[in-house]
Amino acid sequence: MTELSSIQRTWRNPLFVWDGSQEAEKLPTPTFVSHQEIWEATRASRAKLLPVGRLRYYHKWAGHGQNLWRRSRYFPTRRRVLRIRGEYNKKSLRREKTIIDKRPIWWVMGLVALALVPLLTPASLENTLLTAGVTFGIYAAINLCWMLVIGTASIFSLATYAIVGTAAFVTAYSSTMFGLPWWLLPPLGALVGVIFGGIIALPATRLDGFYYALLTLGLNELCRVYFVTSREFGSATGGLYGAATYIPQDWSSSGQLQLAYYACFAVMLLALLLYRFVNGRRLGRILRMAPEKREAFAEATGVNFRQARVRVFLISSVGLGFIGGFYSANYGGVAFSIFSFDTVLLGLAMLVIGGIGRSEGAVLGTLIVVFFDKVLITLGPARLIIIGLIMLFVVLYLRNGLFGIKQQFRSWRDKKKSERRSTRAEKGGEMLPEEATEARNVDDLYRRRYDKMQREFLKTLVKPEVIEEHRRAPQGQHSEALERLLIYFRNQPQPDKYAITALQSINGFRIVALSGHRGVAPRVVEDKIYRSPAEAYHGVFLRRVQDLLES
Amino acid sequence: MDVWFVISNTIVLACIYGTLAIGVSITWSSLGFLNLAYGFIFAFSGYGAWLFAQHVSTFGPAVLACGILSGALGGVFVCALAFIPIHDKPNFTIRGLIATLAINLIGTQSLLWWFGPRSKNLPEIFGTWKLSFSGVTLTADRVGNVITSVLMLLLVLRWMRSSRRGLEIRAMMMNPHAASIVGIGVRRTSFYVMAITGALAGLAAVLLSQTYYISPFGGLTPMIKAVSIALCGGLGSVQGAVIAAVVLGLNEALTTVSIGGRYVLITQFLMIILILLVRPRGIAGILDRAREA
Amino acid sequence: MNIIQQDLSQAAHAPLQRREMLKLSGLSAGYGPMRVIHDLDLIVSSGERIGIVGLNGHGKSTLFYAIAGLTGWQRGSIKLNGLEIGRTRSQGPGRYTHQIVRAGLALIPQGDEIFHGLTVEEHLDSGAFTPRSWRERQERKERILQIFPPLKKLMAVPVGRLSGGERRMVSIGRGLMGEASLFLVDEPSLGLAPKIGKNVIDALMALDLGSSAMVIAEQNVSLLEGRVDRILGMHVGKLKGEASAALMLHDHGRA
Repeated sequence: MTELSSIQRTWRNPLFVWDGSQEAEKLPTPTFVSHQEIWEATRASRAKLLPVGRLRYYHKWAGHGQNLWRRSRYFPTRRRVLRIRGEYNKKSLRREKTIIDKRPIWWVMGLVALALVPLLTPASLENTLLTAGVTFGIYAAINLCWMLVIGTASIFSLATYAIVGTAAFVTAYSSTMFGLPWWLLPPLGALVGVIFGGIIALPATRLDGFYYALLTLGLNELCRVYFVTSREFGSATGGLYGAATYIPQDWSSSGQLQLAYYACFAVMLLALLLYRFVNGRRLGRILRMAPEKREAFAEATGVNFRQARVRVFLISSVGLGFIGGFYSANYGGVAFSIFSFDTVLLGLAMLVIGGIGRSEGAVLGTLIVVFFDKVLITLGPARLIIIGLIMLFVVLYLRNGLFGIKQQFRSWRDKKKSERRSTRAEKGGEMLPEEATEARNVDDLYRRRYDKMQREFLKTLVKPEVIEEHRRAPQGQHSEALERLLIYFRNQPQPDKYAITALQSINGFRIVALSGHRGVAPRVVEDKIYRSPAEAYHGVFLRRVQDLLES
Repeated sequence: MDVWFVISNTIVLACIYGTLAIGVSITWSSLGFLNLAYGFIFAFSGYGAWLFAQHVSTFGPAVLACGILSGALGGVFVCALAFIPIHDKPNFTIRGLIATLAINLIGTQSLLWWFGPRSKNLPEIFGTWKLSFSGVTLTADRVGNVITSVLMLLLVLRWMRSSRRGLEIRAMMMNPHAASIVGIGVRRTSFYVMAITGALAGLAAVLLSQTYYISPFGGLTPMIKAVSIALCGGLGSVQGAVIAAVVLGLNEALTTVSIGGRYVLITQFLMIILILLVRPRGIAGILDRAREA
Repeated sequence: MNIIQQDLSQAAHAPLQRREMLKLSGLSAGYGPMRVIHDLDLIVSSGERIGIVGLNGHGKSTLFYAIAGLTGWQRGSIKLNGLEIGRTRSQGPGRYTHQIVRAGLALIPQGDEIFHGLTVEEHLDSGAFTPRSWRERQERKERILQIFPPLKKLMAVPVGRLSGGERRMVSIGRGLMGEASLFLVDEPSLGLAPKIGKNVIDALMALDLGSSAMVIAEQNVSLLEGRVDRILGMHVGKLKGEASAALMLHDHGRA
């Protein structure tokens, strides 16, 4: 054993017999290190296998690619009903279709379910449920318009119910005074809405988000105080009643409720349409370019976001006024409670629970809040507390309401992934598992893993004896360890590879690094000038050894 | 119409609303947090003082102190519930605003549930003496209101100017990021800030209850007035809030005398809108000496 | 003699008995899904001045922020004067910063992280929030005024009105007010006229460190060259210094 190792620690130069003038016969050399060990250590790695990559499950529909060209579109536009991607299955090479955006399907299912509610409710619950349904339809429509203001135009306005209430009061007043028919009330409301909206849009052009929120909170209170104290609007009776209504008085009460339900449902559909037309088209796109705190950038790219915001505000004011007129035509009047602070809070709860900036959020939030407020009416004041608690929970723990959960979960997962990545970081070129799933060329993965193993092994060969041996004779026959190192260094790719340049003027040598590109001159690495080629060779060798150890 | 009566009334109200407005301003500028649960804190401290007066003692200063203390407690409560969990999360300002609104909803409904809708009134804190000279009669509660609120404000401002905690709060008002680098803990300082602003609300609640009554929703109007005064003065500026309180108080007095009390809010908001259209940052925009970064 | 052997011998003779003021091992930090600092090791001994040089966006400021607990998330150990201040933290940037500052860290941040409305005097006071230095703040202020004499006339002026160079002096003075054992100075010459920048650096160099240590990040190597004990390079979130390679070789040589 000792004999063997002592033999291995010296290296005998086989060429010494032929030309022994410069070379030593024996040189000390490090003990043999088997590369097999590193190979086995890597292969035997008991590293925990962690789930990597992202799982996004899409159902694959069968279908030939030809069928993809026969797409159904919304009538006047070129917009497709469903976004479908066609591709070949990588394994079976069969043609298949993927529905990328399933939201239209959910919308249709949900709306159909809502439309079927009156037909399916048991008679004992009909009164409660349909009354709640009527409220739901109106409030969902209001919230959709409000969502346009808060979400699309990012004007944090709390005066929505002030607009609705003013329109409702004015229309109810004119109906009782001048006997207007019910079908005139919504258009009149829209007119009131645009005037009122125009007045309160004036400060919106100048004020920042929160200043405006506070101002509109005050405006809401102003309206409440004004209407409550004014005698014309029925300060004595707690509201203004007796306006014309579209519900025929000679129908049965369940027939009246069903008619009201479907009318409110239709108003909600109109509001959805409005939302779609504002948010999904040019105005919405412009405003999505100018989110909060990026206004300067949007302005610099030529987006007149102020004008767009005011326009959205006015459009939604028209919508809100229309709904206000419909409100008084629906209930035959309006109560002061529409201006109360709790109404604003409940409306805000509806938006927040669903998630600000999405129409589905407005509708679902309204559904939840109306369910608690109108269906579970037996709970008494506790139901408002429950709604408040839900709102508090959503706002404290969810970034953007219920519909933001998916995105929040994804960003949380990405963050965790990145953190986990940092704990598993290994020094070396091997790809991390997460990177590996994103790599284009899988060969690259194996090459880098092999390269890493090779470097691990070569690092064990760098010993003072080897460096000393190279210093003595940079060229010629070398011991095994040195030869392995040199072969690895010589096989490196061209970019940033070290080379030696001969300086004609002073008869010296200097180390440069090749650029790797034809026509681009190498760059000088260090100022040191070597006197002989051998010294320069050794300089290059030392630099490469240093780079190897650092990697 | 007794002009002196109206003016003194307005001065009293301006003092109280100014107290509230300064609270709103300090909270916004130091924590970046719009506390719209102020109405709840207001009602909460009113009920705290009422409970104390009912069960312990009706001694004026003690009731006042109890109101202030329960206001501070309410402030700490709101801070722990709405500020601490989300103050370093994305979208904090808007979420904080909504969270305080939710607390307001929960809080006022709970008060309604617990104490019932009937309003309560507090004992006379400042006694029933009167002061009259040259035809003007000043009742005890008016004089007491003005003196107490001005005293409390001076105390708070003095403390903010000269103490170490005050320096902390002011540093955080100006640059929260740099404040944490200097070694100011945002969470601890936020408790101080909220306790102080809550105490201001508690003081205002007890003082206002001399004129009005304590009811679960009684905090709403004072909060809206405070918020609009703070807005008009420029959120975050104490001097601005004081000036705005005086201006709006004057406006209230003049409107009541000339057109009628119904139109107070209308003229007030027209005025605020006018001021904000000229200076979007409120009156403080004119006062600001420092160079904007 | 070749360079590696030179380094080897230097590393062998390096005085290791000095106290470790700051010890980072395996520090990674970043914001959200982005990792800026990659598994970084660094030891700063007491009485040492270290320069960290690197281009924009290579993580110098993030390194300092990670030490102060101000990054989005971080992992790995940070020992300040033997006290572990780096924990695995995935949220709440700045939540523990004040405790870290109390433990003896002074971070002088890049740019103007100042309080616009406070006067210069209040500003200097605000640097001394730890209880002991608050009591001694008068003497400490005197000391700062000796380092930056121009501030003497400006004591009552709001900082928002000062010029860039004066602001930087105030900012550095604020950092020097506390009883810190480690000073992290982030780009002291950034955005200043070359002459003023040089003056600021001179003031930092003239400071008597005692047993504390100082790390200065700079883009301009020439300002630091020859005046600090070590210069480390920072490149895409990793430290690249001459010394580190030698130490590694040292380990291999013994193995």
